[in-house]
Amino acid sequence: MAQCSAKSSFILCFCLFWSSGASETHVPLLVWSSHSLPPVSPPAEGHITSHGELGLFLSAALSSGSHTVLLFLQERLSQDDFTLYGGVYGNKEDSAFKNLEAALQSHSTVFPAVECSRSSSVPVILEQELGVEPLLLTPDALENLKLDATVSNLLLISLPYCHQNQLCREELRRNDEVIGRVLKTLEAKNVPYTAIFTGLQPSRMISESSFSAPVGRSLLQSPAPPPSVRAPIMFSSSVNPCIMMWAQNINVSFTETGEDWTDLSTQTPNVTGSLCNGSNSILVLNYNAGITLSFFMSQRFFPVSARRWFNLDSVQLRQNAVSASFSSRSIYAPAEYSYHCQMVNSFRDALLINENTNASWRLNFIDFQIQGFGLANTTDFSYASDCAGFFTAGIWMGLITSLLMLLIFVYGLQMILQLNTMDRFDDPKGPCISVPQTD
Amino acid sequence: MLLELMMNGHALLYTGVTLAFWSTILIVGICYTIFDLGFRFDVAWFLTETSPYMWANLGIGLAISLSVVGAAWGIYITGSSIIGGGVKAPRIKTKNLVSIIFCEAVAIYGIIMAIVISNMAERFSGTTPDTIGSKNYQAGYSMFGAGLTVGFSNLFCGICVGIVGSGAALADAQNGSLFVKILIVEIFGSAIGLFGVIVAILQTSKVKMGD
Repeated sequence: MAQCSAKSSFILCFCLFWSSGASETHVPLLVWSSHSLPPVSPPAEGHITSHGELGLFLSAALSSGSHTVLLFLQERLSQDDFTLYGGVYGNKEDSAFKNLEAALQSHSTVFPAVECSRSSSVPVILEQELGVEPLLLTPDALENLKLDATVSNLLLISLPYCHQNQLCREELRRNDEVIGRVLKTLEAKNVPYTAIFTGLQPSRMISESSFSAPVGRSLLQSPAPPPSVRAPIMFSSSVNPCIMMWAQNINVSFTETGEDWTDLSTQTPNVTGSLCNGSNSILVLNYNAGITLSFFMSQRFFPVSARRWFNLDSVQLRQNAVSASFSSRSIYAPAEYSYHCQMVNSFRDALLINENTNASWRLNFIDFQIQGFGLANTTDFSYASDCAGFFTAGIWMGLITSLLMLLIFVYGLQMILQLNTMDRFDDPKGPCISVPQTD
Repeated sequence: MLLELMMNGHALLYTGVTLAFWSTILIVGICYTIFDLGFRFDVAWFLTETSPYMWANLGIGLAISLSVVGAAWGIYITGSSIIGGGVKAPRIKTKNLVSIIFCEAVAIYGIIMAIVISNMAERFSGTTPDTIGSKNYQAGYSMFGAGLTVGFSNLFCGICVGIVGSGAALADAQNGSLFVKILIVEIFGSAIGLFGVIVAILQTSKVKMGD
């Protein structure tokens, strides 16, 4: 006897089994009929037929009169099943869908991808179209069923899908045999039918890579965050900034071995004790651990060059009660400009000369810029007079020597090239000169 | 005339090089002036940063090389005349070798001064203007100056003696009694080379290079 256990709730259970939500999951849907089907334009590659489109097609197919619709609902189905087990690589004899292929020969339509969602499903759509509830059948029960061709019938046959350990080919072959038997039975009963073969869920889900990559070329390395730059250390007398100093690293070392290099630029110093008058500027930086770094600058007018120049006379480093002074004679710039140097240290190409008894203390400023005078109301450094010139001393020496030698060479070459054989007294027609043999 | 000048490839080359050099200097100078970077044209920096070794050795090199140029030039001038005149008047060849010897003396002055100056070059251990010290700078510049002095003096002396000797040889070829008087002119010409040597020795008398 027929098992009339088909209810909407049963269908809903099936819906709940469906895989989570991606609207891109799709299953193939094959429709064939004993009579004609409405023509449908072949869908574009990758197009997922929506339920609306499917509903339109089905309403066109099942519009007039009563129809018997067979719905073969396999637990899982994907296009890949046909590719793998359908004997498509010239091995037709291995095909697991022989009956299906035979059925598709006449009056068939294939939707390669029909969307698969929880809310509506193929049985629900068919139910709506036909206006009857689906009847869940086992294949054997169909033979004994009395079908009334004058009313619409919706027959639902659920087919299993293979699990992990089973041989899928055998399972699909069995399903195919079921389909074949059912179709033969219906034909024996002489009932015009429309059959649909589809799946509840896709059997293989290929997750598509997200298309959120930016169009066009881009670097693989993510853009580094812009490095945050510290503000320069400023000392303001009254209102306006008077002394400015910036360094990327302020390294001090107190021991001989140089293992205790401390970078003071990571700390924020206190500028109390700094002084700023017309001819002298002293910048005093007080750090933690009793370390104090002072810069002594002075400026005056030089009549020969007729401009004011400032000089960083000395740098004093103090740790608690011990202090060391580093003098410099070559850190100078016109007073209205700032002085910049990539490396200011006291041990290699030293600009700061250690003239103390404790000669183990060392300073090393990296990317150092200082200005003690001439700051206008702005907080920017003035033009930076750099310690590195265009040509170094060595380049100048080489240029002079080589240009001198080049000059000498060219001059000599010029002289030699303008030597000519004297031809003033050549007279080809005259008598040859006579050379006397005696004195 | 310009076309004539241009026909000579050397002249074109020299004109071009000179033009390029001076225009570079001019444009660099203008840029420095416009951007108020004139303070970076620092002659004192140049004189204190360049090594005294360079100056000393330039002096030594110029002493010998310029002297030799002068001597060579003189000998070439005189020699050509003696050889040419000697074809027609072979008696001149022995007496006129004196002119060659006067020219050669100039080269000998040069080499003596070069040896004297190079003996004063000593090693010092300073690297910065402060540590090099004023004595070393003075030594370097003095040696350069002395080398220039003796070099240029001998250069012009050699040329002078050469031209006079050439005239002497040709006059002698014409009239044998002329030679002795012309020799006096040559002696005066040769004295100026000696002046250069004396002054160079004075310049380097106080040189004390080293630590």
